[in-house]
Amino acid sequence: MNYTFQFGVAFDVLPQLLEGAVLTFQMGVVTFAGGSILGLFFAALKTYGNRPLRGLAQAYVVFFTNTPALIQIYFLYFGLPEFGILWDNFVCVMIGLILNSGAYLTEIMRAGFLSVRATEMEAAEALGFNRLQQIRHVIVPHIAKTIYPALANFFIVILVMGTSIGAVVGVDELTGQAINLSTENYRWLEMFTVAAGLYVILTLVASIALALFGRWAFRVKAKVF
Amino acid sequence: MPHLDIIDLNASYGSVGVLKGVNLSVERGEVVSLVGPSGSGKSTLLRVLVGLTPPSGGRIVVDGTTIDYRSKSSLKAARDRMAIVFQQYNLFQNMDVMRNVTIAPVQIKGRQRAEVEADATKILARMGLADKHHSYPDQLSGGQQQRVALARALALKPEILLLDEVTSALDPELVNEVLDAIRALAAEGMTMLIVSHEMAFVKEVSSKVVMMDKGQVVEAGPPREIIDAPKTDRAKEFFGKILRH
Repeated sequence: MNYTFQFGVAFDVLPQLLEGAVLTFQMGVVTFAGGSILGLFFAALKTYGNRPLRGLAQAYVVFFTNTPALIQIYFLYFGLPEFGILWDNFVCVMIGLILNSGAYLTEIMRAGFLSVRATEMEAAEALGFNRLQQIRHVIVPHIAKTIYPALANFFIVILVMGTSIGAVVGVDELTGQAINLSTENYRWLEMFTVAAGLYVILTLVASIALALFGRWAFRVKAKVF
Repeated sequence: MPHLDIIDLNASYGSVGVLKGVNLSVERGEVVSLVGPSGSGKSTLLRVLVGLTPPSGGRIVVDGTTIDYRSKSSLKAARDRMAIVFQQYNLFQNMDVMRNVTIAPVQIKGRQRAEVEADATKILARMGLADKHHSYPDQLSGGQQQRVALARALALKPEILLLDEVTSALDPELVNEVLDAIRALAAEGMTMLIVSHEMAFVKEVSSKVVMMDKGQVVEAGPPREIIDAPKTDRAKEFFGKILRH
Protein backbone atom coordinates (compact mmCIF):
# COMPACT_ATOMS: atom_id res chain seq x y z
CA MET A 1 0.00 0.00 0.00
CA ASN A 2 1.46 3.28 -1.08
CA TYR A 3 -0.99 5.51 0.70
CA THR A 4 0.56 7.75 3.36
CA PHE A 5 -1.84 8.73 6.09
CA GLN A 6 -1.55 12.40 6.96
CA PHE A 7 -3.53 12.82 10.11
CA GLY A 8 -2.10 16.29 10.57
CA VAL A 9 -4.73 17.42 8.07
CA ALA A 10 -7.44 15.75 10.10
CA PHE A 11 -6.34 17.49 13.28
CA ASP A 12 -6.46 20.83 11.52
CA VAL A 13 -10.11 20.32 10.69
CA LEU A 14 -11.01 18.53 13.91
CA PRO A 15 -13.09 21.48 15.19
CA GLN A 16 -15.31 21.25 12.09
CA LEU A 17 -15.68 17.49 12.49
CA LEU A 18 -16.55 17.96 16.14
CA GLU A 19 -19.19 20.49 15.16
CA GLY A 20 -20.59 17.81 12.88
CA ALA A 21 -20.52 15.30 15.73
CA VAL A 22 -22.44 17.68 17.99
CA LEU A 23 -25.08 18.17 15.30
CA THR A 24 -25.28 14.39 14.81
CA PHE A 25 -25.89 13.97 18.52
CA GLN A 26 -28.55 16.69 18.59
CA MET A 27 -30.29 15.19 15.54
CA GLY A 28 -30.22 11.78 17.22
CA VAL A 29 -31.82 13.11 20.41
CA VAL A 30 -34.53 15.11 18.61
CA THR A 31 -35.31 12.19 16.26
CA PHE A 32 -35.54 9.81 19.17
CA ALA A 33 -37.75 12.15 21.20
CA GLY A 34 -40.07 12.88 18.27
CA GLY A 35 -40.15 9.26 17.18
CA SER A 36 -40.93 8.14 20.72
CA ILE A 37 -43.94 10.44 20.94
CA LEU A 38 -45.21 9.16 17.57
CA GLY A 39 -44.43 5.60 18.63
CA LEU A 40 -46.29 5.95 21.92
CA PHE A 41 -49.29 7.46 20.16
CA PHE A 42 -49.53 4.83 17.41
CA ALA A 43 -48.79 1.98 19.84
CA ALA A 44 -51.70 3.19 21.99
CA LEU A 45 -53.91 3.24 18.86
CA LYS A 46 -52.80 -0.27 17.91
CA THR A 47 -53.41 -1.60 21.40
CA TYR A 48 -56.57 0.20 22.49
CA GLY A 49 -58.03 1.68 19.29
CA ASN A 50 -61.08 0.45 17.40
CA ARG A 51 -60.73 -1.22 14.01
CA PRO A 52 -60.26 1.89 11.81
CA LEU A 53 -57.73 3.40 14.25
CA ARG A 54 -55.81 0.13 14.48
CA GLY A 55 -55.82 0.00 10.67
CA LEU A 56 -54.49 3.55 10.46
CA ALA A 57 -51.64 2.77 12.87
CA GLN A 58 -50.86 -0.44 11.01
CA ALA A 59 -50.77 1.38 7.65
CA TYR A 60 -48.34 3.92 9.10
CA VAL A 61 -46.03 1.22 10.44
CA VAL A 62 -46.12 -0.86 7.25
CA PHE A 63 -45.50 2.12 4.98
CA PHE A 64 -42.60 3.58 6.93
CA THR A 65 -40.84 0.35 7.86
CA ASN A 66 -41.12 -1.17 4.40
CA THR A 67 -39.61 1.74 2.47
CA PRO A 68 -36.07 3.11 2.93
CA ALA A 69 -35.66 6.23 5.07
CA LEU A 70 -33.63 7.73 2.21
CA ILE A 71 -36.59 7.50 -0.18
CA GLN A 72 -38.88 9.02 2.44
CA ILE A 73 -36.51 11.95 2.84
CA TYR A 74 -36.11 12.33 -0.96
CA PHE A 75 -39.87 12.38 -1.22
CA LEU A 76 -40.06 15.27 1.25
CA TYR A 77 -37.08 17.11 -0.23
CA PHE A 78 -37.61 16.62 -3.96
CA GLY A 79 -41.26 15.57 -4.10
CA LEU A 80 -43.10 18.08 -1.93
CA PRO A 81 -41.84 21.15 -3.84
CA GLU A 82 -43.87 19.84 -6.81
CA PHE A 83 -46.92 20.46 -4.62
CA GLY A 84 -45.68 23.90 -3.65
CA ILE A 85 -44.33 22.84 -0.23
CA LEU A 86 -40.76 23.98 0.11
CA TRP A 87 -38.95 22.95 3.29
CA ASP A 88 -35.24 23.33 3.78
CA ASN A 89 -33.04 20.26 3.77
CA PHE A 90 -32.64 20.08 7.56
CA VAL A 91 -36.38 20.18 8.16
CA CYS A 92 -36.93 17.47 5.54
CA VAL A 93 -34.32 15.21 7.11
CA MET A 94 -35.67 15.67 10.63
CA ILE A 95 -39.30 15.08 9.62
CA GLY A 96 -38.27 12.07 7.55
CA LEU A 97 -36.19 10.57 10.35
CA ILE A 98 -38.87 11.18 12.97
CA LEU A 99 -41.60 9.60 10.82
CA ASN A 100 -39.36 6.66 9.99
CA SER A 101 -38.13 5.99 13.53
CA GLY A 102 -41.67 6.56 14.87
CA ALA A 103 -42.80 3.52 12.88
CA TYR A 104 -40.11 1.27 14.36
CA LEU A 105 -40.70 2.73 17.81
CA THR A 106 -44.43 1.97 17.47
CA GLU A 107 -43.62 -1.73 17.33
CA ILE A 108 -41.14 -1.51 20.22
CA MET A 109 -43.64 0.42 22.36
CA ARG A 110 -46.45 -1.96 21.47
CA ALA A 111 -44.48 -4.83 22.95
CA GLY A 112 -44.30 -2.73 26.11
CA PHE A 113 -48.05 -2.06 26.11
CA LEU A 114 -48.75 -5.78 25.79
CA SER A 115 -46.49 -6.54 28.75
CA VAL A 116 -48.47 -4.38 31.18
CA ARG A 117 -50.22 -6.71 33.57
CA ALA A 118 -54.00 -6.49 33.44
CA THR A 119 -54.12 -6.73 37.22
CA GLU A 120 -52.11 -3.53 37.65
CA MET A 121 -54.51 -1.77 35.29
CA GLU A 122 -57.46 -3.02 37.32
CA ALA A 123 -55.87 -1.82 40.52
CA ALA A 124 -55.32 1.58 38.94
CA GLU A 125 -58.92 1.69 37.74
CA ALA A 126 -60.26 0.74 41.16
CA LEU A 127 -58.10 3.48 42.71
CA GLY A 128 -59.87 5.98 40.47
CA PHE A 129 -57.36 6.50 37.64
CA ASN A 130 -58.96 7.42 34.32
CA ARG A 131 -57.55 6.06 31.05
CA LEU A 132 -55.10 8.91 30.48
CA GLN A 133 -53.86 8.76 34.07
CA GLN A 134 -53.42 5.00 33.71
CA ILE A 135 -51.28 5.55 30.62
CA ARG A 136 -49.23 8.28 32.29
CA HIS A 137 -48.68 6.74 35.71
CA VAL A 138 -48.86 3.01 35.14
CA ILE A 139 -48.31 2.11 31.49
CA VAL A 140 -45.58 4.53 30.45
CA PRO A 141 -43.33 3.95 33.49
CA HIS A 142 -43.87 0.22 33.14
CA ILE A 143 -43.06 0.06 29.44
CA ALA A 144 -40.18 2.50 29.88
CA LYS A 145 -38.62 -0.03 32.21
CA THR A 146 -39.54 -3.14 30.23
CA ILE A 147 -38.46 -1.94 26.82
CA TYR A 148 -35.65 0.35 27.96
CA PRO A 149 -32.88 -1.87 26.55
CA ALA A 150 -34.65 -2.06 23.18
CA LEU A 151 -35.15 1.71 23.18
CA ALA A 152 -31.52 2.34 24.07
CA ASN A 153 -30.40 0.10 21.20
CA PHE A 154 -32.67 1.88 18.81
CA PHE A 155 -31.28 5.24 19.89
CA ILE A 156 -27.83 4.03 18.85
CA VAL A 157 -29.25 2.89 15.49
CA ILE A 158 -30.72 6.35 14.92
CA LEU A 159 -27.54 8.05 16.07
CA VAL A 160 -25.28 6.13 13.68
CA MET A 161 -27.39 5.01 10.74
CA GLY A 162 -30.28 7.43 10.81
CA THR A 163 -28.64 10.80 11.09
CA SER A 164 -25.91 10.11 8.51
CA ILE A 165 -28.58 10.03 5.80
CA GLY A 166 -28.72 13.79 6.26
CA ALA A 167 -25.40 14.03 4.41
CA VAL A 168 -27.13 13.04 1.17
CA VAL A 169 -29.23 16.19 1.09
CA GLY A 170 -26.46 18.43 2.40
CA VAL A 171 -26.99 18.52 6.16
CA ASP A 172 -23.61 19.12 7.79
CA GLU A 173 -23.75 16.49 10.49
CA LEU A 174 -20.69 14.32 11.07
CA THR A 175 -20.83 12.35 7.80
CA GLY A 176 -21.82 15.45 5.83
CA GLN A 177 -19.00 17.42 7.38
CA ALA A 178 -16.51 14.66 6.50
CA ILE A 179 -17.71 14.73 2.88
CA ASN A 180 -17.48 18.53 2.72
CA LEU A 181 -13.96 18.59 4.11
CA SER A 182 -12.77 15.77 1.84
CA THR A 183 -13.91 17.60 -1.25
CA GLU A 184 -11.78 20.52 -0.15
CA ASN A 185 -8.59 18.75 0.94
CA TYR A 186 -8.91 15.41 -0.91
CA ARG A 187 -7.88 13.50 2.26
CA TRP A 188 -10.92 11.20 2.08
CA LEU A 189 -9.40 8.34 4.00
CA GLU A 190 -8.25 10.53 6.89
CA MET A 191 -11.53 12.42 7.09
CA PHE A 192 -13.61 9.26 7.21
CA THR A 193 -11.28 7.47 9.58
CA VAL A 194 -11.53 10.33 12.06
CA ALA A 195 -15.30 10.59 11.47
CA ALA A 196 -15.65 6.86 12.14
CA GLY A 197 -13.62 7.27 15.32
CA LEU A 198 -15.89 10.08 16.45
CA TYR A 199 -18.96 7.88 15.79
CA VAL A 200 -17.45 5.18 17.99
CA ILE A 201 -16.81 7.69 20.76
CA LEU A 202 -20.35 9.09 20.43
CA THR A 203 -21.98 5.66 20.66
CA LEU A 204 -19.76 4.57 23.53
CA VAL A 205 -20.57 7.67 25.52
CA ALA A 206 -24.26 7.34 24.68
CA SER A 207 -24.36 3.63 25.60
CA ILE A 208 -22.73 4.19 28.96
CA ALA A 209 -24.91 7.20 29.73
CA LEU A 210 -28.05 5.25 28.74
CA ALA A 211 -27.08 2.24 30.85
CA LEU A 212 -26.39 4.40 33.90
CA PHE A 213 -29.60 6.35 33.39
CA GLY A 214 -31.58 3.11 33.02
CA ARG A 215 -30.18 1.78 36.27
CA TRP A 216 -30.94 4.99 38.08
CA ALA A 217 -34.39 5.70 36.67
CA PHE A 218 -35.90 2.28 36.05
CA ARG A 219 -33.75 -0.17 37.98
CA VAL A 220 -32.86 -1.77 34.64
CA LYS A 221 -30.16 -4.30 35.21
CA ALA A 222 -28.09 -3.15 32.25
CA LYS A 223 -24.40 -3.84 31.92
CA VAL A 224 -22.33 -0.74 31.37
CA PHE A 225 -19.65 -2.78 29.61
CA MET B 1 -79.97 3.60 57.27
CA PRO B 2 -77.49 0.89 56.17
CA HIS B 3 -74.02 2.06 55.19
CA LEU B 4 -74.12 -0.10 52.10
CA ASP B 5 -77.33 -1.49 50.63
CA ILE B 6 -77.30 -3.93 47.75
CA ILE B 7 -80.72 -4.44 46.25
CA ASP B 8 -81.62 -7.14 43.74
CA LEU B 9 -78.17 -6.85 42.08
CA ASN B 10 -77.55 -8.62 38.78
CA ALA B 11 -74.36 -8.94 36.77
CA SER B 12 -73.17 -11.18 33.98
CA TYR B 13 -70.06 -11.99 31.97
CA GLY B 14 -71.40 -12.08 28.43
CA SER B 15 -74.51 -14.25 28.52
CA VAL B 16 -73.52 -16.03 31.72
CA GLY B 17 -75.33 -14.62 34.74
CA VAL B 18 -72.98 -14.38 37.73
CA LEU B 19 -75.07 -12.38 40.17
CA LYS B 20 -78.77 -13.17 40.13
CA GLY B 21 -80.64 -10.84 42.41
CA VAL B 22 -78.29 -10.36 45.35
CA ASN B 23 -79.74 -8.57 48.39
CA LEU B 24 -77.44 -7.55 51.19
CA SER B 25 -77.16 -4.68 53.59
CA VAL B 26 -74.16 -3.67 55.67
CA GLU B 27 -74.47 -1.37 58.67
CA ARG B 28 -71.85 1.24 59.52
CA GLY B 29 -68.87 -0.36 61.27
CA GLU B 30 -70.07 -3.84 60.47
CA VAL B 31 -67.77 -6.57 59.18
CA VAL B 32 -69.60 -8.78 56.74
CA SER B 33 -67.96 -11.92 55.36
CA LEU B 34 -68.97 -13.50 52.08
CA VAL B 35 -68.43 -17.23 51.94
CA GLY B 36 -69.37 -19.88 49.43
CA PRO B 37 -67.94 -22.09 46.71
CA SER B 38 -65.82 -20.82 43.82
CA GLY B 39 -67.95 -19.25 41.13
CA SER B 40 -70.70 -18.30 43.55
CA GLY B 41 -70.23 -14.61 42.70
CA LYS B 42 -68.48 -13.36 45.86
CA SER B 43 -65.56 -11.72 44.07
CA THR B 44 -67.81 -10.46 41.30
CA LEU B 45 -69.95 -8.71 43.90
CA LEU B 46 -66.88 -6.78 45.13
CA ARG B 47 -65.82 -6.03 41.56
CA VAL B 48 -69.25 -4.61 40.77
CA LEU B 49 -69.12 -2.40 43.86
CA VAL B 50 -65.91 -0.66 42.71
CA GLY B 51 -67.01 -0.49 39.09
CA LEU B 52 -64.67 -3.09 37.57
CA THR B 53 -67.62 -5.18 36.36
CA PRO B 54 -70.75 -3.35 35.25
CA PRO B 55 -74.02 -4.36 36.94
CA SER B 56 -76.86 -5.37 34.63
CA GLY B 57 -79.65 -4.68 37.07
CA GLY B 58 -80.53 -3.75 40.62
CA ARG B 59 -79.29 -0.95 42.83
CA ILE B 60 -76.32 -0.18 45.05
CA VAL B 61 -76.91 2.47 47.68
CA VAL B 62 -74.09 3.93 49.76
CA ASP B 63 -75.16 6.05 52.71
CA GLY B 64 -78.50 6.78 51.08
CA THR B 65 -77.08 7.68 47.67
CA THR B 66 -77.75 5.36 44.74
CA ILE B 67 -74.66 4.85 42.57
CA ASP B 68 -75.09 5.13 38.82
CA TYR B 69 -72.31 2.96 37.40
CA ARG B 70 -72.78 4.39 33.91
CA SER B 71 -72.00 7.90 35.10
CA LYS B 72 -68.32 8.74 35.48
CA SER B 73 -68.89 11.25 38.27
CA SER B 74 -71.13 8.88 40.22
CA LEU B 75 -68.61 6.06 39.81
CA LYS B 76 -65.83 8.37 40.96
CA ALA B 77 -67.85 9.23 44.05
CA ALA B 78 -68.34 5.51 44.73
CA ARG B 79 -64.60 4.87 44.41
CA ASP B 80 -63.96 7.70 46.86
CA ARG B 81 -65.94 5.79 49.45
CA MET B 82 -64.97 2.19 48.72
CA ALA B 83 -61.51 0.72 48.26
CA ILE B 84 -60.68 -2.83 47.24
CA VAL B 85 -57.72 -5.08 48.04
CA PHE B 86 -57.09 -7.95 45.66
CA GLN B 87 -56.01 -11.54 46.17
CA GLN B 88 -52.85 -11.01 44.11
CA TYR B 89 -52.07 -7.59 45.71
CA ASN B 90 -51.81 -5.96 42.23
CA LEU B 91 -49.16 -3.49 43.36
CA PHE B 92 -47.50 -1.23 40.81
CA GLN B 93 -44.26 -3.08 40.19
CA ASN B 94 -42.30 -0.08 39.00
CA MET B 95 -43.02 2.04 42.05
CA ASP B 96 -41.57 1.77 45.53
CA VAL B 97 -43.82 1.19 48.55
CA MET B 98 -44.26 4.87 49.37
CA ARG B 99 -45.22 5.74 45.81
CA ASN B 100 -47.64 2.82 45.56
CA VAL B 101 -49.42 4.15 48.62
CA THR B 102 -49.35 7.86 47.78
CA ILE B 103 -49.89 7.97 44.03
CA ALA B 104 -53.69 7.84 44.06
CA PRO B 105 -54.25 10.44 46.81
CA VAL B 106 -51.71 12.80 45.21
CA GLN B 107 -52.39 12.32 41.51
CA ILE B 108 -56.07 11.46 41.52
CA LYS B 109 -57.40 13.37 44.48
CA GLY B 110 -54.93 16.25 44.17
CA ARG B 111 -53.99 16.28 47.85
CA GLN B 112 -50.72 17.85 49.03
CA ARG B 113 -47.83 15.41 48.73
CA ALA B 114 -46.34 16.28 52.13
CA GLU B 115 -49.64 15.71 53.89
CA VAL B 116 -50.27 12.44 52.05
CA GLU B 117 -46.77 11.19 52.83
CA ALA B 118 -47.22 11.99 56.49
CA ASP B 119 -50.47 9.98 56.47
CA ALA B 120 -48.85 7.16 54.52
CA THR B 121 -45.99 7.00 57.00
CA LYS B 122 -48.49 6.45 59.82
CA ILE B 123 -50.46 3.85 57.87
CA LEU B 124 -47.30 1.97 56.86
CA ALA B 125 -46.10 1.98 60.46
CA ARG B 126 -49.40 0.44 61.55
CA MET B 127 -48.98 -2.20 58.87
CA GLY B 128 -45.52 -2.98 60.24
CA LEU B 129 -43.80 -1.60 57.15
CA ALA B 130 -42.08 1.43 58.64
CA ASP B 131 -38.70 0.36 57.28
CA LYS B 132 -39.94 -0.55 53.81
CA HIS B 133 -40.80 2.85 52.34
CA HIS B 134 -38.26 2.58 49.55
CA SER B 135 -38.52 -1.12 48.81
CA TYR B 136 -40.00 -2.30 45.55
CA PRO B 137 -42.75 -4.96 45.44
CA ASP B 138 -40.38 -7.60 44.07
CA GLN B 139 -38.17 -7.14 47.13
CA LEU B 140 -41.02 -7.94 49.56
CA SER B 141 -42.64 -11.16 50.75
CA GLY B 142 -46.25 -11.91 49.82
CA GLY B 143 -47.48 -10.92 53.26
CA GLN B 144 -45.59 -7.64 53.11
CA GLN B 145 -46.93 -6.94 49.62
CA GLN B 146 -50.47 -7.61 50.76
CA ARG B 147 -50.00 -5.21 53.68
CA VAL B 148 -48.74 -2.58 51.22
CA ALA B 149 -51.89 -3.18 49.21
CA LEU B 150 -53.96 -2.67 52.38
CA ALA B 151 -52.03 0.54 53.10
CA ARG B 152 -52.63 1.72 49.54
CA ALA B 153 -56.36 1.19 49.97
CA LEU B 154 -56.38 2.90 53.39
CA ALA B 155 -54.47 5.93 52.08
CA LEU B 156 -57.60 6.81 50.10
CA LYS B 157 -59.46 7.11 53.43
CA PRO B 158 -62.28 4.84 52.34
CA GLU B 159 -65.44 4.40 54.40
CA ILE B 160 -65.89 0.85 53.22
CA LEU B 161 -63.05 -1.60 52.67
CA LEU B 162 -63.53 -4.53 50.31
CA LEU B 163 -61.15 -7.47 50.77
CA ASP B 164 -61.11 -10.10 48.05
CA GLU B 165 -59.50 -13.31 49.34
CA VAL B 166 -56.56 -11.30 50.59
CA THR B 167 -54.82 -14.24 52.25
CA SER B 168 -55.43 -16.91 49.60
CA ALA B 169 -52.15 -16.32 47.78
CA LEU B 170 -50.01 -16.25 50.91
CA ASP B 171 -47.83 -18.83 52.61
CA PRO B 172 -49.59 -20.16 55.73
CA GLU B 173 -47.01 -18.48 57.94
CA LEU B 174 -47.70 -15.08 56.40
CA VAL B 175 -51.48 -15.28 56.68
CA ASN B 176 -51.61 -14.13 60.26
CA GLU B 177 -49.66 -10.93 59.77
CA VAL B 178 -52.28 -9.81 57.24
CA LEU B 179 -55.19 -11.02 59.37
CA ASP B 180 -53.81 -9.10 62.35
CA ALA B 181 -53.86 -5.91 60.29
CA ILE B 182 -57.48 -6.58 59.33
CA ARG B 183 -58.45 -7.37 62.94
CA ALA B 184 -57.07 -4.01 64.00
CA LEU B 185 -59.11 -2.22 61.34
CA ALA B 186 -62.26 -4.07 62.36
CA ALA B 187 -61.69 -3.10 65.99
CA GLU B 188 -61.51 0.55 64.90
CA GLY B 189 -64.94 0.36 63.33
CA MET B 190 -64.10 0.29 59.63
CA THR B 191 -67.00 -1.04 57.56
CA MET B 192 -65.72 -4.10 55.74
CA LEU B 193 -66.94 -6.60 53.22
CA ILE B 194 -64.65 -9.61 53.21
CA VAL B 195 -64.42 -12.55 50.86
CA SER B 196 -62.49 -15.24 52.66
CA HIS B 197 -61.99 -18.96 53.03
CA GLU B 198 -60.35 -18.60 56.45
CA MET B 199 -63.36 -19.87 58.39
CA ALA B 200 -61.86 -19.45 61.84
CA PHE B 201 -61.02 -15.85 61.03
CA VAL B 202 -64.44 -15.23 59.49
CA LYS B 203 -66.10 -16.56 62.61
CA GLU B 204 -63.97 -14.41 64.89
CA VAL B 205 -64.06 -11.10 63.06
CA SER B 206 -67.46 -10.96 61.33
CA SER B 207 -70.65 -9.51 62.69
CA LYS B 208 -72.49 -11.14 59.83
CA VAL B 209 -71.74 -14.04 57.50
CA VAL B 210 -73.34 -14.28 54.10
CA MET B 211 -73.30 -17.61 52.30
CA MET B 212 -73.54 -17.29 48.53
CA ASP B 213 -74.12 -19.89 45.87
CA LYS B 214 -74.80 -19.62 42.14
CA GLY B 215 -75.04 -15.84 42.26
CA GLN B 216 -77.52 -15.64 45.10
CA VAL B 217 -77.49 -15.24 48.86
CA VAL B 218 -78.37 -18.59 50.37
CA GLU B 219 -78.29 -17.65 54.01
CA ALA B 220 -77.17 -14.69 56.08
CA GLY B 221 -76.84 -14.06 59.78
CA PRO B 222 -74.48 -14.04 62.76
CA PRO B 223 -71.43 -16.30 62.28
CA ARG B 224 -72.43 -18.78 64.98
CA GLU B 225 -75.81 -19.38 63.37
CA ILE B 226 -74.61 -19.58 59.80
CA ILE B 227 -71.42 -21.56 60.24
CA ASP B 228 -72.33 -23.76 63.22
CA ALA B 229 -76.05 -24.22 62.65
CA PRO B 230 -76.97 -23.53 59.03
CA LYS B 231 -80.64 -23.91 58.19
CA THR B 232 -80.63 -24.47 54.43
CA ASP B 233 -79.48 -27.74 52.86
CA ARG B 234 -76.98 -25.95 50.61
CA ALA B 235 -75.30 -24.19 53.53
CA LYS B 236 -75.29 -27.41 55.59
CA GLU B 237 -73.58 -29.20 52.72
CA PHE B 238 -71.00 -26.42 52.22
CA PHE B 239 -70.01 -25.96 55.84
CA GLY B 240 -70.17 -29.71 56.45
CA LYS B 241 -67.55 -30.22 53.74
CA ILE B 242 -65.13 -27.46 54.66
CA LEU B 243 -65.25 -27.93 58.42
CA ARG B 244 -64.40 -31.58 58.11
CA HIS B 245 -60.89 -30.59 56.94
